[in-house]
Amino acid sequence: MLIANRGEIAVRVARACRELGLSPVAVYSECDRAALHVRYADEAYPIGPSAPRESYLRIDRLIEAAKKSGADAVHPGYGFLAENEAFAQAVGDAGLTFIGPSPAAIRTMGSKTAARAAAIRAGAPVVPGTEEALTDTDIAEVATSIGYPLLVKAVAGGGGKGMRTVADASDLANAVRAARSEAGAAFGDASVYLERRLTRPRHIEVQLLADAHGTVIPFVERECSIQRRHQKVVEETPSLVVSPSLRAAMTSAAAAIAKAVGYTNAGTIEFLVDEDGRFYFLEMNTRLQVEHPITELVTGLDLVRWQIRIARGERLDIDPARALVPNGHAIECRIYAEDPDNGFLPSPGRILQLRAPAGPGIRDDSGTAAGLDVPIFYDPMISKLAAWAEDRPLAIARMRRALGEYLIAGIKTTLPFFTWLLAQPEFLDGRFHTTYLDEVLQARNGVPFADAGADVEEIAAIGAALQAMLSPSTSSAAANGSAANGSAPGAQTWRARARVEGLRGA
Amino acid sequence: MQYEVEIGGKVRQVVVTRTGGAFAVSVDGRTRQVDAVRVDANTLSLLVDSLLPAEHGPAGQRDARANRVYEVSSAPGLGAGELQVHVGSAPVAVTLNGRRRWGQKQDGRGAGSGPQRVIAPMPGKIVRVLVNAGDRVSPRQSVVVVEAMKMENELRASREGTIAEIHVRQGMSVDAGTLLLVIQ
Repeated sequence: MLIANRGEIAVRVARACRELGLSPVAVYSECDRAALHVRYADEAYPIGPSAPRESYLRIDRLIEAAKKSGADAVHPGYGFLAENEAFAQAVGDAGLTFIGPSPAAIRTMGSKTAARAAAIRAGAPVVPGTEEALTDTDIAEVATSIGYPLLVKAVAGGGGKGMRTVADASDLANAVRAARSEAGAAFGDASVYLERRLTRPRHIEVQLLADAHGTVIPFVERECSIQRRHQKVVEETPSLVVSPSLRAAMTSAAAAIAKAVGYTNAGTIEFLVDEDGRFYFLEMNTRLQVEHPITELVTGLDLVRWQIRIARGERLDIDPARALVPNGHAIECRIYAEDPDNGFLPSPGRILQLRAPAGPGIRDDSGTAAGLDVPIFYDPMISKLAAWAEDRPLAIARMRRALGEYLIAGIKTTLPFFTWLLAQPEFLDGRFHTTYLDEVLQARNGVPFADAGADVEEIAAIGAALQAMLSPSTSSAAANGSAANGSAPGAQTWRARARVEGLRGA
Repeated sequence: MQYEVEIGGKVRQVVVTRTGGAFAVSVDGRTRQVDAVRVDANTLSLLVDSLLPAEHGPAGQRDARANRVYEVSSAPGLGAGELQVHVGSAPVAVTLNGRRRWGQKQDGRGAGSGPQRVIAPMPGKIVRVLVNAGDRVSPRQSVVVVEAMKMENELRASREGTIAEIHVRQGMSVDAGTLLLVIQ
């Protein structure tokens, strides 16, 4: 299996391969030679310079690596080319199996307007809006019929780009101009459509597996409303606001949409749920999602393994109730190398120490390790930390325990932010929606997350002084600023050990 | 051994004395008994006395006390004397200045807090320098705007001080680790 990705998802897929007796093949860009996903694989092939468009987005180099390795199949992971129909097609054309849906399904559901049309055909409720890309002459009239506030969105879009909120008719023309311009620059397609903007909605999504024999299995929903600037940061399952009957309705609608487009393999249907508990189709992701571990934790099912089995032509023999009725509760925090005290600015650099939490109910999906650099070219993800427990309060307590165990030194991380977030009353009560996090972050007004408190600062002072005293080579290197990266840990350990022996002997 | 340790803008005088197999550590005059062992190149496990000053019972016996466990790891930061310390998993930025052996300074640094070095965290371009040499700045005041990864990022003073050196100007490209400003 050639894994056309990097970081934690490449490690995740490689693990599923090993469990199935398949040999994982890695690809790496220049800066990724020593990355964990390369060291974990059986074979590895270089695919170009570090910038994604010169490596992980190079269809030709990926196909070439697959052929050189003799791989039978290619797993695209998420991001990069995972939802690129040309890549899926190229894999098929090369006589290899693509671990994912067909190029046609990717094309249909990749266009936001075509996806909406498919959802409507399947009888699913959709956010009030238009189905086609609009011309400027039609837009004002259509906007009136949809109602304000509304969103102008890019047809080819994603990740919040090419999107503008419009509060009333007077803002419409400018918003359309701006959205078209951004969409043209980001996706090479300036087409836009309109959608009603729901107030304080929740983002709730439904995982699906579909085999090549017509069986579609929907899973218990994931609650993904904790987002910073449209990026998910915390996900959990099940959702506090989804009753069994709402779950039945949403998962049926999701399965119907998948069937309507002949979808196969793993995918996720995203819904918005308004304050009255009405749900609306938003879009479909035709790939494995970042947050898939929490679904695996509450169902005991291995989604990546099923992706591979489905691609082999096997039948889904999952009891639907097992996928729909959650066992316990699971939460995931995406741990990023970002400085929460500096606008979540990426914090690239060398990870000097990394000690991930463990113990009951803890799962850490990591793509990196101590001694490795967080590169500037990609998403600065350290790991996905997930906690499972019998119910939500216990899962939160477990996650807090795990966050307290997680030591990452050398770079700034979002750990202090998560520690704060998981103590917020709204989070504990489950009272949140898609703009909640942006709102409370703004209300904090730059108050640092990493403020340790006087007692901890005193211990830090004691520890720093003792460290300096017990290993003068380290501290003088620090004082001279020469240890910015790569003091020789080996020599220090030797000297340190000698000193400890000396202390013990006293 | 005496150290000046600056955390969060506050300088603490820390004196470390060996006491048999352990240490008496005083922070701004308040002394605790500390048992310290090294667990790896960067990490010490500490057992720290409770908050009351160390006392001896009658006839020189030491009171038995509950020992609080702390794990402190430290790694060099980007600037001179700067350390990234973690107490457990909590990060604390520490500047260790001027090791003194009983009053004798070893590295010639001035007393008081060391300079703040504002450093480019990644490659980028200087969009705007917001201050001039000699300006007083307050904690968290923005001092320079750097464009990187298609976003504008404001870099801030971590504590108050005076702009001592400005090494960049608008339009310059910088690498990660480039010194941008020094605040005294």
